Amino acid sequence: MVARYIFRRILVGTVQILSLVIAVFFLIRLLPADPVSRFVGLNSSAEAYAQAERNLGLDRPLLTQLGHYLGVLPSEGPGLLQGSLGTSWVTGTPVLTEIGQALPITIELLTFAFAVALLISVPVGMLAALRPGGAADRGVFAYSLFAGSQPEFWWGLLFVYVFFFVLGWAPAPLGVLSPLTSPPPPVTGFITLDSLIAGRPDTLFEVLHHYMLPVATMVFILSGPIIKMVRQNMVRALGSDFVLYARCAGLPKGQVARYALRAAMAPSVTLIGILYGFMLGGAVLIESVFSLGGLGQYAIRSVLAFDYPAIQGVILVITAISLLVYLALDLIHAVIDPRVAYG
Amino acid sequence: MKADVAATQRTVLSVHNLRVRYDTPSGAVTPLRDFSLSIGEREVVGLIGDAGSGKSTAALAMMGLVRPPGRLISGQVLFGGQDLMEMDEDQLRALRGKDIGIIVQNPRSALNPMLRIGRQIGNVYRAHSDASAAAARDRAIEMLRLVGINDPERRVAAYAHELSGGMAQRALIAMALSSEPRLLIADEPTSGLDVTIQAQFLDQMWDSVQQTGSAILLISQDLGIIANYCDRVAVLHDGRIVEDRPARDFFAAPEHPYSRDILGLQRAAASGVARTSEPVAPGEPLVEVTALAKAFPIHGSDKVVQALQSVDLSVGPGETLGLVGESGSGKTTVGRCLLRLEEPTSGDITYRGAPISGIPKEALRAFRRKIQIVFQDPYDSLNPRWTIRRVLQEPLDLHTRLGKAEKTARIRDLLEMVGLDQALIDDKPRGLGASAMQRLNIARAIAVDPEFIVLDEPTSVLAPQAVTGLIALLRKLQKELGLSYLFISHDLTTVRFLCHRVAVMYLGQIVEVGRVGQVFEDPQHPYARALLSAHLFPDPTRRRVDQDVPESLSGEIPSPVDLPRGCYLAGRCPFAVDRCRSEAQPLVALEDGRQVRCWRVIEGDLEGAA
Ligand code: SF4
Repeated sequence: MVARYIFRRILVGTVQILSLVIAVFFLIRLLPADPVSRFVGLNSSAEAYAQAERNLGLDRPLLTQLGHYLGVLPSEGPGLLQGSLGTSWVTGTPVLTEIGQALPITIELLTFAFAVALLISVPVGMLAALRPGGAADRGVFAYSLFAGSQPEFWWGLLFVYVFFFVLGWAPAPLGVLSPLTSPPPPVTGFITLDSLIAGRPDTLFEVLHHYMLPVATMVFILSGPIIKMVRQNMVRALGSDFVLYARCAGLPKGQVARYALRAAMAPSVTLIGILYGFMLGGAVLIESVFSLGGLGQYAIRSVLAFDYPAIQGVILVITAISLLVYLALDLIHAVIDPRVAYG
Repeated sequence: MKADVAATQRTVLSVHNLRVRYDTPSGAVTPLRDFSLSIGEREVVGLIGDAGSGKSTAALAMMGLVRPPGRLISGQVLFGGQDLMEMDEDQLRALRGKDIGIIVQNPRSALNPMLRIGRQIGNVYRAHSDASAAAARDRAIEMLRLVGINDPERRVAAYAHELSGGMAQRALIAMALSSEPRLLIADEPTSGLDVTIQAQFLDQMWDSVQQTGSAILLISQDLGIIANYCDRVAVLHDGRIVEDRPARDFFAAPEHPYSRDILGLQRAAASGVARTSEPVAPGEPLVEVTALAKAFPIHGSDKVVQALQSVDLSVGPGETLGLVGESGSGKTTVGRCLLRLEEPTSGDITYRGAPISGIPKEALRAFRRKIQIVFQDPYDSLNPRWTIRRVLQEPLDLHTRLGKAEKTARIRDLLEMVGLDQALIDDKPRGLGASAMQRLNIARAIAVDPEFIVLDEPTSVLAPQAVTGLIALLRKLQKELGLSYLFISHDLTTVRFLCHRVAVMYLGQIVEVGRVGQVFEDPQHPYARALLSAHLFPDPTRRRVDQDVPESLSGEIPSPVDLPRGCYLAGRCPFAVDRCRSEAQPLVALEDGRQVRCWRVIEGDLEGAA
């Protein structure tokens, strides 16, 4: 049952991704942009222009280009079907390799940030829900307003100023490792895991230290909406008949709270998933402020450079990960809430 | 009276001058102002009152609880000499669910949707004992068996949404009884249960009081339940108890004007205005149904749900035919087929001798004018954003060519006819109560002079006194306008007062049809007998618990997907023999004019059987 459901979701997801890739393929080529002149310069000769166009493959009919990208034209070399995302026009490196470097950083950043944000937000949201209008609730409200009042990069800069420049608690916002440290040999691509594998606790510590400030910034921004959501779901759960009945039946306080929490978490999980998927590309400002070199930064760089293969690759990867995250969270949701049917 | 009871029996719980207030943005509401009530050992006390009169608030308040944002302002709740209002949270917690158990309305929403019911029952049990998890599970199974759930070992693993309403209700009862409370507060404990099952459950509950010496506060709108099971009746009105007397005295001669209101229908019956068995204008049947069948295909399967099978019935001009049966008997589908809201799978329906299935689309409008329907939920069928004028004008616009002034005059007439204030004409129906809403629905149904109205459970959401008024209205309209009704209801008390003839349905078939007097006084078909004996008529002098109840049906209703080959009742009927299981039963007329679908009745086998 569950296996069949997962299989079907993955199948549907693949179709979705493929349609999106094809749509994006055409859409970026509809843009009034001229990537060729960007590479050869505006004043280049006609031959140089034609040569560059040929190099990029843009001289061929659109459908041939698409066939090449998808990998259904064997004569043209490997494409999507063969597991290749093409080569970046800017760097000449395979897009897959570049994404393979940027993606783990974003995932690490988001995972740490979400984990910490949840650890803080869930209890705080519960506390606020237990006494609507109480001190905790008012505090949370004020905090949400405050945190949401400024754009995230501004908070990032402020944090850098305070914790690096003034207090000196955080390292310089120059990536995930200090320039003098050599990175651990890449095994998983996740630098925290790799330093563990390489048996270098000092490197691990350094990485975590570098993640500290960007994660704190994200937690600061994410917590507001998450607390609000947990609070709302919790208020609803606490007002529900079955919680009232649990009290009628004389269940211990902690157990009543657990009943309510579980009911509140089920809908929250879905929203957290959506937020996570959104942040995959949306963490770009934080990544830029701290020069982390994550996926968001890579996406912006590719767009500004009209690097078509890279743009397509980023969109494909973000979509695929989002779909996987949604699937995982739907499965978690079903575990929490038995009413969810695999349909 | 109250003092007597308290003196002769030990008091279990007494409430004095309780006041509960809700502070809402639009002002404070005080559902309980000065509420006092006491319950003695081995006593079953009935608490009645309007919907929204604060009965459920009172039930919770007796455990020292209020649904947020309400607050207990003042008063005392004494249990075993201690005041609940002065206890701390821990003491209260220890008391709730252990000494005082509660069963609430809407059992399905009272159960935690995320936990298996066995766990939930076990959790409650463990909260009040030091049982291990395994012992709690055993206890849950034991309790589920006790409340009559088949196969409790399997059911402990079910979630609330996997249970039917009746099953969820029983699970809740199992939970409330698991710690053997001294007082059980039962707030509409049988809402949503079918009558045959309701009677079973109430009998059980009553027995357990007698055996264990506990006490019950039974909150219900159903006077039948109150009359049959309660020793004492308390009437809640305007936030306080306005009458508190032994049940017999109460039903014989209610004192408070409000109580008299509630008992209206019963008192009307006592003074002899019950239905005479003659329709206003007998004659050729107006509506005739022959061999009607309706099957619903099941999505994603080639099986079908047999909702109706070989239904024959006729309604004459000025006649009311009652259609009764438990949920799933197909009675609503009959009404919907008559209006062509549903297309029958086979069979004929004629209206004044002409088949309605042959009516072309264009003529359907003229036909719809003559035959109208009033639904169960008055709020569902009215657009709350429309004014009353617009609601009533719609059918006039559709079916008549009246001028504007004539329409207004007609609308005023209609309001007058159904007993609504004409001044309301430009109001929105939103603010009306359920009873006024239902009157508005009736006004809409009679707006274009129909001849025939299908009434689909029109009284089921109304409070007792509103039911009386509505039944009186329907009878008045029938007399004045010569209307025919098909009255679909599970409430046999109202059927008795409104209908000339009655048809009893079971699993999509009519099993007995005859005059109301015949069927109600002397039902023949085993299912009709069971249904009638399970029905609780509000008469405390003939209490069910004081009588030997005839053998009732056993087992569960078969699924309408896999119907038995022979008589549909064979699996549950106490009189079933082999022949019943193999032969499908036709509806056959008896000498006295009624028709019955049971060969043993027809051959006179069951004469004198209980
Ligand atoms: S036919 Fe048999 S099983 Fe059916 S109702 Fe009659 S006696 Fe009972």
